[in-house]
Amino acid sequence: MIGKFAYLLLRSLGFGAGTWPGEIAIRINPHILSSFASQFRKGIILVAGTNGKTTTALMIKTILEAQGLSVVHNASGANLVNGIVSACIPTASWKGVINADYGVFEVDENSLPIVIKFLKSVKSKVVIVLLNLFRDQLDRYGEVDVIAQKWERALRGSNAIIIANADDPLVAHLGLHAKTTFFGINDKTKFLPKMEHATDSIFCLHCGARLAYEGVYFSHLGIWKCPKCGEKRPKPDIFRVKSPLPGLYNYYNTLAAMSVAKTLGITMDLAGLHPAFGRQEEIGNVKIFLSKNPVGFNQSLRTVLELGAKQLLLIVNDRIPDGRDISWIWDVDFEMIPKHVSVIVSGDRVFDLALRLKYAGIQATISKRLGDALETDKTLYVLPTYSAMLEVRKILSGNRIL
Amino acid sequence: MNTSIRIGWLYPDLMSTYGDRGNVIVLQKRCEWRGIDVEVVPVTLETQITKLQCCDLIFMGGAQDRQQKLVGVDFLKNKGPVVKEMVEKGIPALFVCAAYQFVGHYYKPYQGEKIPGAGIFDLVTVHPGDQAKRLIGNVVAEVIMLNNKSIVGFENHGGRTYLGPKMKPFARVKRGFGNNGEDGYEGAVYKNAIGSYFHGPLLPKNPHIADWLIAKALEVKYGKQIALKELDDSLEWQAHNQMI
Repeated sequence: MIGKFAYLLLRSLGFGAGTWPGEIAIRINPHILSSFASQFRKGIILVAGTNGKTTTALMIKTILEAQGLSVVHNASGANLVNGIVSACIPTASWKGVINADYGVFEVDENSLPIVIKFLKSVKSKVVIVLLNLFRDQLDRYGEVDVIAQKWERALRGSNAIIIANADDPLVAHLGLHAKTTFFGINDKTKFLPKMEHATDSIFCLHCGARLAYEGVYFSHLGIWKCPKCGEKRPKPDIFRVKSPLPGLYNYYNTLAAMSVAKTLGITMDLAGLHPAFGRQEEIGNVKIFLSKNPVGFNQSLRTVLELGAKQLLLIVNDRIPDGRDISWIWDVDFEMIPKHVSVIVSGDRVFDLALRLKYAGIQATISKRLGDALETDKTLYVLPTYSAMLEVRKILSGNRIL
Repeated sequence: MNTSIRIGWLYPDLMSTYGDRGNVIVLQKRCEWRGIDVEVVPVTLETQITKLQCCDLIFMGGAQDRQQKLVGVDFLKNKGPVVKEMVEKGIPALFVCAAYQFVGHYYKPYQGEKIPGAGIFDLVTVHPGDQAKRLIGNVVAEVIMLNNKSIVGFENHGGRTYLGPKMKPFARVKRGFGNNGEDGYEGAVYKNAIGSYFHGPLLPKNPHIADWLIAKALEVKYGKQIALKELDDSLEWQAHNQMI
């Protein structure tokens, strides 16, 4: 356990110091996550996946707190081990004692294996939610398959309860040989007319044959089956829920949260849900839909168009959290934006974005000053990459970090 | 005269990492904007080689390991030899990243056997292992055959590519690593086929390369040089120059 003195220092840093307290704590005691984890009275819930972690974790936290349970939860994006530890420190006592019912943590794709390792000795419930695996920032993470393989190895021999997306072949495969609760969508009316481009994992993980789909909801999510070895989409246990947020992707997030509620025997009450940082967040006339990879961007575009958007502001930066290589914008189907919607573009890579839109048949207005672009008396839908989202929030809400 | 081009896009469902389809979109649009009839022919694992043989321009992009393994046998046995014939006949082609490596003689991973390539380009690629740094970052280079006009892109590869005597380098690196981080060159050219490590993707911010490929396709197909109508590329060059 950490010495009292170091602990006081860390606690005083605990407010507003990001993942630093966790980083320091880990250097002093590399197994601190295990120590913290074993103290949650009722259990720990991990949420992993490329898109939807923050929203799903927030939904789970909301459901638990609505029943009067106490929850420790990591801030959006602080989803490496140091972020999870940092989330625990402010609530822990001097002696490192945590007094809470549940820990709900979103976990970065690459960190899931090591977090699972640290949770091996936990005696209370461990629930792991596997949302999806999409192609994200290749220059940061490498390949989707490699991540799936690492997850498979990490989950072997784990006592965790798995909650997995039946509609994602990569993720469903991981749950097939374990005690898994599957969620998925059973609604043919929501099938896309044809498969989108930004698709991974359309080949059977078991035998390598190309998967056949009865229908696709988006990207590689849908009713799938391997014509060669017969592996197919498991029947979801949870497939119907009332989603408080728009968009098909949020329907999945809500199904995942409901699966957790059912597993823990808790009522599903999302009345108290406030949107997460930058995810369908509304500040004045501006609605922010974080869009950081092709699948997420396609989903955001579809959703805002369904909501009747007339004005879009697209912002692409290429800073470290966004990924320096922005080639991925060519995998986004901007062609779906109808002529009557006006499009403004901004960000570090505004010219690349304008160019992409030109080739999609859209004449975008280039705005070099984000502050100007955000000034509007009409409803403006903003689709930013991660660092751009932080900038937008900062401009709209003054310099406080909300 | 009314002209048309068929663009053969190899394995669009498997070898299309990271925006590479943008190269096909650019070629297609730049033809459409000039009134050149254009058809994009997807050439997948299941496609008959006769469909590939009718193409006037070939494109093949990058892939992740699993996808490339799936392509491997089909390319080496079925499509690769056809592409080789077409390249020898002067059909223009663009091979990006994993495709660039795959059309060489072989790829030598750090551990394990050499993986044979299609032998279309006289080059080899070697991966020096996880200890060696990966060649990642924005790149600026000067295209030798286009009077040193600049090209910009983003590279991301562990393999180091070394050109054999039959190949000419594509561009001289001004910033970045290029083929191997040693000889100062990026990419390769053989007859009318270009290989490159550039993501970006390559063609949007380098419209002169797109037009070179289109012009070559028309020249080979119709047996004479056909001038391309000029397009307004100010946005392309704005985006290009920002990266320099």
